[in-house]
Amino acid sequence: MTMDTASFQFLLFGLGVALISNISRSSAWRSAVLLVASIVFLGLLAPNPIVLLPLIGFLLFGFAELVLIERGWSGSLAWSVLGTVFVYVWLKKYTFLPEKIFLHSPYFTLGLSYIFFRVLHLLIEAKDRPGQRQVGVVAYLLYNLNFTTFISGPIQRYDDFAEGQFAADPVALGPGVIGLQLERIVRGLFKVNVLAMLFDIVRTDAYSRISQSLPLPPPLKLYAVFLLLTSYPLFLYANFSGYIDIVIALARLMRLRLPENFDRPFSASSALDFWNRWHMTLSNWLKAYVYNPLLLTLMRRISSPGLEPLLGVFCFFVTFFLIGVWHGRTTEFVVFGVLTGGGMSINKLWQLGLTRAMGRKSYKKLSNNDLYNALGRGLNFIWFGFTLFWFWADWSRIDRIFHALSLGQWLGVLTGSWLLATVALASWEWLRAALLSITAFQQPLLTSRYARTVYATALGIVSLVVTTALNQPAPAIVYKVF
Amino acid sequence: MDLTLVDEAKRKVRPPKRDWILLPLISLLTVCLLAGSTELLARRLFPEMATEGEDCMIFTDPVSGARGIPNSVCWEKIPEGELTEYQFNRCGHRAGMECGPKPPGTFRIVMIGTSFAIGMRVPREQTFAALLPVELSRRTGLKVQLYNEAIPFKLPDTIAAHFDEALEAKPDMILWALNSSDIHTQSQVAVLPAPASVRNLSLLMRLRSHLKTIFAAKSFAASVTAAFSSTRSATMLSHFLYESRSQYVKSTLMEDDDKVGYLKTEQSEGWQKRLSEFDRDAARIEAQAKAAGVPLVVVLLPNRAQAAMISMGQWPPGIDPYKLDEQMRSIITSHGGTYIDMLTDVRTIPDPQLGYFPVEGHPNGRGHGMFTALLASELTSGAVPALKATSPSQTASKQSE
Repeated sequence: MTMDTASFQFLLFGLGVALISNISRSSAWRSAVLLVASIVFLGLLAPNPIVLLPLIGFLLFGFAELVLIERGWSGSLAWSVLGTVFVYVWLKKYTFLPEKIFLHSPYFTLGLSYIFFRVLHLLIEAKDRPGQRQVGVVAYLLYNLNFTTFISGPIQRYDDFAEGQFAADPVALGPGVIGLQLERIVRGLFKVNVLAMLFDIVRTDAYSRISQSLPLPPPLKLYAVFLLLTSYPLFLYANFSGYIDIVIALARLMRLRLPENFDRPFSASSALDFWNRWHMTLSNWLKAYVYNPLLLTLMRRISSPGLEPLLGVFCFFVTFFLIGVWHGRTTEFVVFGVLTGGGMSINKLWQLGLTRAMGRKSYKKLSNNDLYNALGRGLNFIWFGFTLFWFWADWSRIDRIFHALSLGQWLGVLTGSWLLATVALASWEWLRAALLSITAFQQPLLTSRYARTVYATALGIVSLVVTTALNQPAPAIVYKVF
Repeated sequence: MDLTLVDEAKRKVRPPKRDWILLPLISLLTVCLLAGSTELLARRLFPEMATEGEDCMIFTDPVSGARGIPNSVCWEKIPEGELTEYQFNRCGHRAGMECGPKPPGTFRIVMIGTSFAIGMRVPREQTFAALLPVELSRRTGLKVQLYNEAIPFKLPDTIAAHFDEALEAKPDMILWALNSSDIHTQSQVAVLPAPASVRNLSLLMRLRSHLKTIFAAKSFAASVTAAFSSTRSATMLSHFLYESRSQYVKSTLMEDDDKVGYLKTEQSEGWQKRLSEFDRDAARIEAQAKAAGVPLVVVLLPNRAQAAMISMGQWPPGIDPYKLDEQMRSIITSHGGTYIDMLTDVRTIPDPQLGYFPVEGHPNGRGHGMFTALLASELTSGAVPALKATSPSQTASKQSE
């Protein structure tokens, strides 16, 4: 059973659980259903319970730390956080640790990263509000094992989870809302099973052209690199956001609201804006627990007003470097982190520099300029695609990609891709705005439920047909391995 | 922000009652319109004739095995191919010439094999059977003639039982052009073409007969999948998806062991049994050729999956596109035959997977051109002494290719 992806089995499982969950609106019933479903889900993912022991151990360790902090054992937070980070790094086998200390029998790590964020969040929040909140063992397990967020998030705050899950009067679920969630599920399936699959084909074929033994004519080589640069960000977006669409909709059908993880990220006109729209729950988590405390600490210690803006730049670097490093255990992800953090810092410096050079008013005017925003959008997209080489490829592949072209050709292909991305994304923004502005009977036409029924049916049919034609399992969700 | 959230607040208002009828109707209408228009478009882009080349062939004759109907002519147009004529001579061969004694001063090659060798789905003048003698004559200075006795589904045991037919043509050499399907007997029985009597029914009756066959044999889900696969929309979609070599390889490797077991480094018991049967038939064929004093040259023609993997230079662990080639070489040479290796040369051809119909799988005109170049190069390289390229200019021209 392929339960760790946007498969029809996972979908049927989720819909079945939602149906049972809605037999009663009582919190106890919904919690019992969610707990049983999450345990069954875990059992389906790992039929051999032995391989789950390290994950269970990590959960127990987190819970024990939480109890200690909740009981007011002051001073234990720093040790708890360090201990949790160490156990996580050890279980994930980060390559900077000596090989011999790792467990050598195979075990299950799916979902561990997301549990890690949730446990840290609970520990930090418990310290900040001593005695105010007690998280019981059932609530702890429900929060961490919730099958809708287990594989790839989104990372929900405990208070938001508890507010929805344990509410005596849970959020309403009428026919209109059900319709919207079903539409969202169909959209998610289409993104993962059709769009992501197509972009993955483009990337795989482009890479195989670069790596084939037969020499490729220069124009074809440039084209292959262009495709590599542009197809992976689109693939990753369709793959990840499609899965998130499905789990958010399934959770909503269980009367549970999950936070949004994406907000049209490729319409962002800068790297800073992009990370407010891409994997939002992760970047918000890191901003809350890394960026803000680090900035506050540095500002307390370094009181020079001239240096204050630069402290923000430094904190951006650290935060987004950590985002990069979190994605994987190897040195490729360290470079991904450096590039991501570096991009954010340079973007911030650019903003500061321009504001200083032009004045606040003129800079504001510039940042509202359509052409400036379009160029920024294209640049951000290409930069993201470029950094992703260290995300999906290992060193030998990266070496092949970079040796495919000369320096001049690289500059040419990057510039060309930037301009093409600028035009394509600007056209998309214009088209989207134009379509949404069409009205009929004094209502927007394309967002009416009738138009959306047509749209969802068409996407559903295409997803079904493509899945049937290919006769392949649903594509893996990239973020499940992190 | 996602439109779903924006709209959720609006949707708290109970939708009008008419929507319970209207929305499913809209949905149904969308399905019908989408399916209908796609099928119409697919039929326009990928037209097909009701007749097939197979109408001129008999596959179930217990005496002769698969054979062509003497003096028959058939036409076909498969969705991905062009209009193709199949003309069989009085001996039931698609040879492009009458059967009979070879003209004096001619080096005659008799080719045996199955669908790749006969040139299924491709006009005869584009097949390597037609192009190869011209190329060999150019390279060797000999007057080379190729008499094609290949016929689809004429499997090694039938060839061994009727090898005297090949020897009757008094060949100077016999070329046995194999492909992976020739060691693939079970599934071939399952895909024997539908009899012409079924295909000549009206569209409605054909559809009924088709659905009856499908739903009688499989589970509901598998039946729906099979029913969809038989639409032209499915052909069109698969055609575009399979144009990607990586996707084609991925989909091919999802097939069951019966179809792709020959690509595996650790072959199943079933495949090992098939190979030992092939070994037995090859031994019989080679013994007869040896007794008649006719050199037998065997070649494995790559299929699309092998060509795609070789050109990409990468394949998943546990898979080896060269595996069957090595096994064929080992079997053929162990009985004293000559084996020529085409697969390693495939990597020198840009995009060799374009030489096949993506969905139907047979080589197209480009593929036959590729086979011609590779075969001519191998046959004149010295593997067959009588066909060795003689002058330096010929060798140079060969190398430049």
